[in-house]
Amino acid sequence: MKNMDVKVCLIGKGNVGTSFLKLLSKKEEFIKQKFDLRFTVNSIFESDGALINKNGLNLKEVLDLDNNFRKSQYWNHNFKARDLLSQLDIDVCIEATSTNPKTGEPGLTHIIEALKNGIDVISSNKGPFYLEYEKIKNLAKENKCIVKFEATVSSCVPILAVKENLIGNEILSFKAILNGTCNFILSRMTAEGVSFSLALKEAQELGYAEADPTLDIDGFDAAGKLVILANELLGWAKNIKDVEIKGISEITPHAIELAKSDGLVIKHLAIAENNKLLVEPRLIDKYSALNISGTLNVIELHSKYAGPIVLMGRGAGGFEAASAILNDLIDIARKRGYTR
Amino acid sequence: MIKIKDTPAWKKINMISLEVKLPDIPGSLIELIKPISENGGNIHGIIHFHDKKIKNLIPVSVNFELSEDIKEISLQNIKNALKEKNIDIENIILGVEKRTLTIILTGHVFDTDVLDTIKRLASKSIAVSELQAKFTALEEVSNVKLKIEFPESMTKNELFEELRKICKEKNLFLITS
Repeated sequence: MKNMDVKVCLIGKGNVGTSFLKLLSKKEEFIKQKFDLRFTVNSIFESDGALINKNGLNLKEVLDLDNNFRKSQYWNHNFKARDLLSQLDIDVCIEATSTNPKTGEPGLTHIIEALKNGIDVISSNKGPFYLEYEKIKNLAKENKCIVKFEATVSSCVPILAVKENLIGNEILSFKAILNGTCNFILSRMTAEGVSFSLALKEAQELGYAEADPTLDIDGFDAAGKLVILANELLGWAKNIKDVEIKGISEITPHAIELAKSDGLVIKHLAIAENNKLLVEPRLIDKYSALNISGTLNVIELHSKYAGPIVLMGRGAGGFEAASAILNDLIDIARKRGYTR
Repeated sequence: MIKIKDTPAWKKINMISLEVKLPDIPGSLIELIKPISENGGNIHGIIHFHDKKIKNLIPVSVNFELSEDIKEISLQNIKNALKEKNIDIENIILGVEKRTLTIILTGHVFDTDVLDTIKRLASKSIAVSELQAKFTALEEVSNVKLKIEFPESMTKNELFEELRKICKEKNLFLITS
């Protein structure tokens, strides 16, 4: 049995990172009781520096400081994660920075550095995985590291973990709704008959869409998640360039009305079948399990021996992603034999 | 309640020809078509062979379609119902299977010659069986729903390729099932 004190480094103290710290703080006692395990966060990196305490940061103190965490005595200005990962004593590195969709940076470098130094990795950052999935997996294998990234796809929905639970079955293909913004817009257009631009404006006002919603409405965000799912669940070796992508901005209220008159609805689906990856609007039966409303995500797996299997849940949010990260962390601890 | 459907908006259709002999009295045809309709049959045509009438019984052939997912159970129900009504089935012919699909085109569908679109699909054995359109103004884009039938021998990918080729050329936004 190894030491039950697992040393954790968090990179990125944004919404997801902070939610993770809050959740860890809330679940600390439960984890100790249940697994005889303690996760000690000894470093928290931001783009302009880091909080570092080799003996473990006091999470309550860090959280109480809120956005003033740079005033902590443990703050080190200009310390960079990529330079220090090799020097700190870390068992698991959690990468929770925001994604640069074209380069996957800075997350990609953080993940590579961690793996090269034999550190297990958890990521909520999908860019590195839809761009360099094979490279990351190979590096992890070479360095005997575990890489987990449940939060990258549909946040809290345990869609990547389902692979292990379906080990006796076989997943042949899947269809999914992986972008809550698009689903919210199409749901509003279907329910209220409003135009695309009005539904988008509403999504922005409610905080469901970014000021620049391009990545969502053009299908790029869903395509990235589709690549990760296909590689992980179907064993493919694709990247984002392999996805045929069509957005939702050309969908009109009239098209939705025509669909309705036939008992159909228009949904923005991410599809992996016949060795092809597609993100495009599709007509589906209104009784289909994929016909979900609002910002929810849904994945319908087609299994060889049990037909369709459906998972649904919130696809975004701080605590939703944080819960997926904590699940991954406990899973790594179990696999490494850190738990009771 | 949510139902899990494998291939929504995408149907496999079987043409069925049912041959019976009906007494030449009012109401007997209703007795024949009622169970077909009640069991999901979509009747395409009924032919009476008056010239072959024997002992006041007229041979009647009814052609209808049943979707693949209900074919077996529906046929059995129809047979049972007709037996109860003392209508003897002379013959059942299962016809060629075809598949139907609904698509929506958005763009200048009429300005880009919708007849040409239909003819080009027909040249690839893809038949348009229904068309419904919605307009806002003449210069605005239109939305057109097409129900299309395509042969069993054609794969879904081949069908989509044909549709995509035409839509790309005519700058139409295609939504498939």
